[in-house]
Amino acid sequence: MWDFIARSLNASTIFTIAALGELIEQRAGILNVGIEGVMLFGATLGFIVAKTTGSYLLGFLAAITIGGLIALLYGFFTITLGGNQVVNGMGIWILGFGLTAYVGYPYTGPLGMDRITDFFGLSPFFFVGVALIIVTWWVFSKTSLGLKMRSVGENPSVAEVSGINVNRTRYLSVITSGMLMGLAGAIYSLNYNPVWSINFLMGWGFLALALVFFSMWNSFILLGGSILFGTLWQLSLNPELVLPGVLSRYIWRTVPFAMTIIVLVLMSTKWFSSRWGAAKPEALGLPYEKE
Amino acid sequence: MKLGSYEVKLEKKLKVTGWEAAAISILAILIALVLVSFIFLQAKVNPLIGYKEIFSFAFTNKFGLPLTINRSIFILLCTCAFIVPMKAGLWNIGMAGQLYAGALGAFAVAFAFGAKESPNSTLSPGIVIPLMMVGAMLGGALIGAIPGFLKGSFNTNEIVVTMMLNSITFWLVAYMIKDGGPFMGGGGEGEGYKLPESIFAPQIFGGPFTVLIALGLAAFLYFIFTRFKIGYQIKTFGLSPTAARYAGISSFKIPLLVFIIGGLIAGLAGYHNFAAVPGVYKITQNYGNYGDLSFYGIICGLISQQNPLAAIPIALLFGGLTNGGRYVQGKLKLGFGIDYALLGVLMITLVFFQFFYRYKIVWKKIDKEV
Amino acid sequence: MTNQERKRVDPLPMKETKHGDTVLEARGITKRYPGVVANDHIDFEIKAGEIHAILGENGAGKTTLMKILFGLVQPDEGEIFVFGEKVNFKTPLDAIHLGIGMVHQDRKLIPAHSVLENIILGHPRAGNILDLKTTAEEITGLCDKYGFNLDLKAKVWQLSEGEKQVVEILKALYRGAKILILDEPTSALAPPEIQKLLASIKIMTGDDLALVPFITHKLPIVLTVSNRVTVLRRGKVTGRLQTKDATENSLAMEMVGREVVFRLERVEVDRGKPILQVENLSAINDKGFQALKDISFSVHEGEIFGIAGVSGNGQQVLAEVLAGLRKVLRGKVLLEGIDVTHSSSLDKWLKGMGYIPSERVNVGSISDYSLVDNVLMNYYFDDEFSRWGILDYKKIRKLTEEIISEYGVAVPGPDTAAKSLSGGNLQKVILARVFTRKPRLIIANLPTQGLDVGATEFVQNKLLEAKKEGAGILLISEDLDEVLSLSDRVAPIYEGEFMGIIPVGQASREDIGAMMAGLKHRVAGI
Repeated sequence: MWDFIARSLNASTIFTIAALGELIEQRAGILNVGIEGVMLFGATLGFIVAKTTGSYLLGFLAAITIGGLIALLYGFFTITLGGNQVVNGMGIWILGFGLTAYVGYPYTGPLGMDRITDFFGLSPFFFVGVALIIVTWWVFSKTSLGLKMRSVGENPSVAEVSGINVNRTRYLSVITSGMLMGLAGAIYSLNYNPVWSINFLMGWGFLALALVFFSMWNSFILLGGSILFGTLWQLSLNPELVLPGVLSRYIWRTVPFAMTIIVLVLMSTKWFSSRWGAAKPEALGLPYEKE
Repeated sequence: MKLGSYEVKLEKKLKVTGWEAAAISILAILIALVLVSFIFLQAKVNPLIGYKEIFSFAFTNKFGLPLTINRSIFILLCTCAFIVPMKAGLWNIGMAGQLYAGALGAFAVAFAFGAKESPNSTLSPGIVIPLMMVGAMLGGALIGAIPGFLKGSFNTNEIVVTMMLNSITFWLVAYMIKDGGPFMGGGGEGEGYKLPESIFAPQIFGGPFTVLIALGLAAFLYFIFTRFKIGYQIKTFGLSPTAARYAGISSFKIPLLVFIIGGLIAGLAGYHNFAAVPGVYKITQNYGNYGDLSFYGIICGLISQQNPLAAIPIALLFGGLTNGGRYVQGKLKLGFGIDYALLGVLMITLVFFQFFYRYKIVWKKIDKEV
Repeated sequence: MTNQERKRVDPLPMKETKHGDTVLEARGITKRYPGVVANDHIDFEIKAGEIHAILGENGAGKTTLMKILFGLVQPDEGEIFVFGEKVNFKTPLDAIHLGIGMVHQDRKLIPAHSVLENIILGHPRAGNILDLKTTAEEITGLCDKYGFNLDLKAKVWQLSEGEKQVVEILKALYRGAKILILDEPTSALAPPEIQKLLASIKIMTGDDLALVPFITHKLPIVLTVSNRVTVLRRGKVTGRLQTKDATENSLAMEMVGREVVFRLERVEVDRGKPILQVENLSAINDKGFQALKDISFSVHEGEIFGIAGVSGNGQQVLAEVLAGLRKVLRGKVLLEGIDVTHSSSLDKWLKGMGYIPSERVNVGSISDYSLVDNVLMNYYFDDEFSRWGILDYKKIRKLTEEIISEYGVAVPGPDTAAKSLSGGNLQKVILARVFTRKPRLIIANLPTQGLDVGATEFVQNKLLEAKKEGAGILLISEDLDEVLSLSDRVAPIYEGEFMGIIPVGQASREDIGAMMAGLKHRVAGI
């Protein structure tokens, strides 16, 4: 049983960190549907670097760096050029999907390094994830930077006249989130399941994207949601553990996505918005141009 | 910015003409090809030879050309599935899910006629094939209706919902064709069952008849959006949902309708790809790469400025590029995935060039001060 | 010195000012836009402790001047001096740093943030880690001083328009503003709120703050509150006077350049049978609050029924409900005797309703559409204009051309995009589009808002014409004078309720004004 819980939490860590990245930029008004692509970049480059150098540290650093760089590219398209965020995000995703398939293919197979030390089966990254959640919450609610980020996500033109450099704030959040996504990808490929194969994330990035909407942009709900999603995923791998014979594992895998749709619908009802306001950052997905 | 005695400035465009859009797209595709040539160079292949191989296989080779056309039909159908909701200002990112739902629908019909149990049975194509197409359209429309309904009733973000449905359908297909699922084929490869020969799609000019459906649909959609009342209503909703409501256009029916139509067309793409393309006739194993070709529909829809007629040559080009790309991979002993890399680079270049739909570069001679 | 330390030092190099010192001076401000000179050599100055109103109609150049003074727009010519020093504003931040604050009419606040967060946002003294407690204390101090009453922890989306305005004022003051530019400060407020605001403003001048309210046409406010007035017309200063020397009529003269006829010629038409009957109508607004409470009234043939009210009192919801754009919670609506309570908007159009929406650009038209396609908005559903689902563009083009010539719409042709039309021309198209249908019931929601005098007169005369032809007209307006001069009966609306239904002439302007503020119940009822 503990083994099951530990595996679930390990899976949830990847959701937590990737989704936290997405949450940070969404709070600043930037929607990145290319999260899966950024994660693929991080996972693949991290895998290649770790495998060739034999160093986990270098692998993770490479993943974080490429995540930040890809995010910078995304930021350039989105913030500076002011392009449509959905189109740009699709571009980043397909670029990640295409390039990593080509670049990573010669490295298909297991990583072949000693596993990173865990605590009774629990990955150390789980604690990193929880710490990041707390830090993010603190930054958003208690600091000037957090207020600025939230403001550019709600109403960039108001932020601008209040003396905030909208583009700089948005770049900062986009790059931070890219680094987190790259890290999350590397945690998958170097720690959770250290085997490279084509398109091996199988939609984990989209699950993380779903999680951000599921969390209603609250970092603690995000943590809870990712543990839930992680557990559901683990359940789908061995459903006989808990619920013998109930539904195919493939059906279990649809559950997190279906739940996200339900939460989305709930959020869009009048009942919800009249009580808690619009949870969604007002300027999410809208390009900002100075007057 | 100053360059010599010229001043270079960016100016906002108010409107993009069709020719401008075409010029921008061609430029973007050329630059993408230049970028991909670095991949050729890195693999020690002369890019010119690489491209010559790609294009000659895709468009002149008697084995390559039919493959290109089959892919192009698929891409064109996906493009139409993207364009219809886009005209209403809504993003259909869910063609992948819808087309697989369509495939499931089509194969469910064949299944009902006992196609899986007795693969050698002779079924009446005149009855089963139309019903399979209806099944495909229903399957696609059913999955498509969900984001449409949610958008119409609760204004739920359709982008996220269609993405979620892609993943849901993805695992649903896995359930159906793997691990002893109802549609699993005999090979134990995790593939769907194969259609009996009697209900293979009829051929026309050496290709499946779906080419007529795709071309006819593109032309029909073009007229829908230039001449028809319903097209006007959809366009109006797309430009301003509040103004559309004022004009008595239902903000429930339009999203529902466009997504049902989009899903329906994507369902046909699913029928084409798995039940009409020669040599396939089953839901194939490589469904795993579900980010695959259907997303060319998005690129194609954006480049064509949502003009279904303009989408035809673009779909043909993309069909040829991916097909030829896969071919040169083997022929020139390149690494696996060069066609995916091409897809990625092409997409990102086009994303960049979207900028020129909104801005133009203006050159101005700086007056010398006397 | 790190960036952070630099920020901690008070960045506002404001000089001590004495009462009566000139704090801001603008000389020869000129701003040209293609085809129009928005500001033509405007001179203007303001002293500490003074309220200097700038008066002018829409299009007189007020907005441009205001934007220039706040650094949002750079003038082509002219100089600005703040505390005696020449300045060159590139962005509003430059203006803010020099102690100029602005209270925007379209609130520059973030609804999802708390009041406190809105005020502290971007404040130079906000450190890396926010000290909300100290800030709250300081702001409470400001509130006490100027007589504001506000829950600092509330989210801005929960506030009323008046409270939001207070937040903007506090934000400017907390930033250390010495000169406060107020854009139409009273336009969204009910009379009691206006009184409160004026009282606070008086206290501010006692603190030697300089206030510059920009006001469109509320002459009584200008007369009660200001010390001096500068009147603008067509980009030029046409009058500079001490308020004590001015009267309502003299100001109006300066403003429009001729004696204003405050009263249109009344058209007397015999009231016919009821066209619209509304019984105990209730509805909720977007936020889920009940915005209409048991309203009953009727509009008859050949009658203009006016609804007067400060914005946000339910009149928008009423218009939308009647136009079929919003659900009815309770009650009944009859159109020529037929129950249309739950009918769709399309159904109502087909049954003879015509709706002129208040938002011309976002609701009444589509900017990217040509005029032909815009006219089609009210006709595509008629059998006359389509067959087998195919539109008859020839016919609709002909109709558009007729509308352009009959209503004198100044455009090159029917293929012109709506976005290149001026507000007045666009309103003509919308009006014509509705009137050409010969609707039995016309719902005109703020039909003259934001139009210049000429266009306003045109619209008002068209409404009177429609009345003469026997249509029933529901006129919703925030301009009491307009309602009084056009309507046969008036219903002042306050918080979703009618304060009465009064035949025009049976109550004074003051009485109706008081009822709009919710002060008096039911003078007369019919």
